[in-house]
Amino acid sequence: MSEFIKVAIDQSKCLGIEACGGCLRVCPVNIFDKKNDEPVIIKENEDECTLCDLCMQACGPNAVIIHKLYENQ
Amino acid sequence: MRLLEHESKEILGRYNILIPEGDVVESGEELKIDGPVMLKAQIPLGGRGKSGGVIEVSSSGEAKEKIEQLLSTPIRGYGAKKILVEEKIDIAREFFMAVTYDTVAKDPLVIFSQEGGVDIEELSASQPEKVQKELFTVRARLPQYRAREIVSEAGISGRILLGLGAILSSLADIFLDYDATLVEINPLALTGDGKLIALDCHIEMDDDALYRHKDQAKKLALDNRYEGGRKSTDFERKAAEIDSLDHRGVAGRMIEFDGFMGLIIGGGGASLTAFDAVKQHGGKPANYCEIGGNPSVLKVKELTKHILTKKGVEKIAIIMNVVSNTRVDLVARGIVKGVLEAGRAPSETVAVFRVPGAWEDEGFKILSKYGVPYCDRSVSIDEAAKMAVERAKP
Repeated sequence: MSEFIKVAIDQSKCLGIEACGGCLRVCPVNIFDKKNDEPVIIKENEDECTLCDLCMQACGPNAVIIHKLYENQ
Repeated sequence: MRLLEHESKEILGRYNILIPEGDVVESGEELKIDGPVMLKAQIPLGGRGKSGGVIEVSSSGEAKEKIEQLLSTPIRGYGAKKILVEEKIDIAREFFMAVTYDTVAKDPLVIFSQEGGVDIEELSASQPEKVQKELFTVRARLPQYRAREIVSEAGISGRILLGLGAILSSLADIFLDYDATLVEINPLALTGDGKLIALDCHIEMDDDALYRHKDQAKKLALDNRYEGGRKSTDFERKAAEIDSLDHRGVAGRMIEFDGFMGLIIGGGGASLTAFDAVKQHGGKPANYCEIGGNPSVLKVKELTKHILTKKGVEKIAIIMNVVSNTRVDLVARGIVKGVLEAGRAPSETVAVFRVPGAWEDEGFKILSKYGVPYCDRSVSIDEAAKMAVERAKP
């Protein structure tokens, strides 16, 4: 569904919404949602990502990963 | 969006500003008021009196005949579907008052004149001492005491000062409450028995704020207001729907043309420059369409798809001036995604992408990946338009 940006969460590092929830709180374009206590990605919004990095800064254990699909990686 | 006189007066009534007794009729048969009345064609134009759109009649028989005449005679390209029938007012004196925006000061501006029924621009130029202008703030509004001071500074004194101050203050409230760009009463009549009555009223609402006034917007969208003027096409209405998908930026102010090159252009005057340049180089635009203010990827994508649905449109050109508040990469994402979802190849469909500015390096990476021809600020809008026209040739 996303053409340009892929956002992922490393669930092994994520502290959960109750303990952290930083990504959900700071994202200006609503890429994150919550399911039970886990943050999940709203796939149809991924291409709206402005690469502001707020989610990465808000995430203590560095569980948020952003890939630019238009760059060779 | 300009409200018709009777629509404007309905709002005045809600703020306890007196208006003449009257009725809105759609035929002479609906006439209820007897005696001398004023008949006013409901069309979205000023200067109706000089164009024959306002008629004074002395009897109901004459009124019925003249109502039919007003309904059947176009006035400067507009046909009235409704006639406002109002009692004739005994006028002792006339005033002018208005609220608009001072776009330099970036604050609302109240204007009051001790002479009404006049062209305020002419009066302001020839006898500026008769026109009082004062800025006020959205936060503080225009309290009655301040409105009275403005009226007083215009040379009005006595008991009438209280009435005029109250109306001026209410006018400022209407301006703010209805997200208007202009609210004007001209003339405001002082009658022989000392009442202040708004004889004519002109309200313009900000189109971009209509979503906050759903009831009003619904009324303004009705087809039974008047005839004439250019009506939006289905293509344009669909584009406006796309623009309202979210609040971010503008992407959908569309005017449809009969050419074949889809245009997504932006930057106020730059969009007009780009449009003219495309035409000057022999291109035939399928549309004029502004984007700006950093629209969402979703809106740009949907807009691109929409333009490509128009019959005969094989190519689109995206041309803006150097942007600071619009992200080049987000526009690029929207365009490429829209073209892909339309089932076409970006490299074949985009004739030129000339949007230099914020985040252009990221934008150019995206365009490079999909083989979209793009250029930076070293290529002028005119040159980009020329490239687009040449690439669109079969």
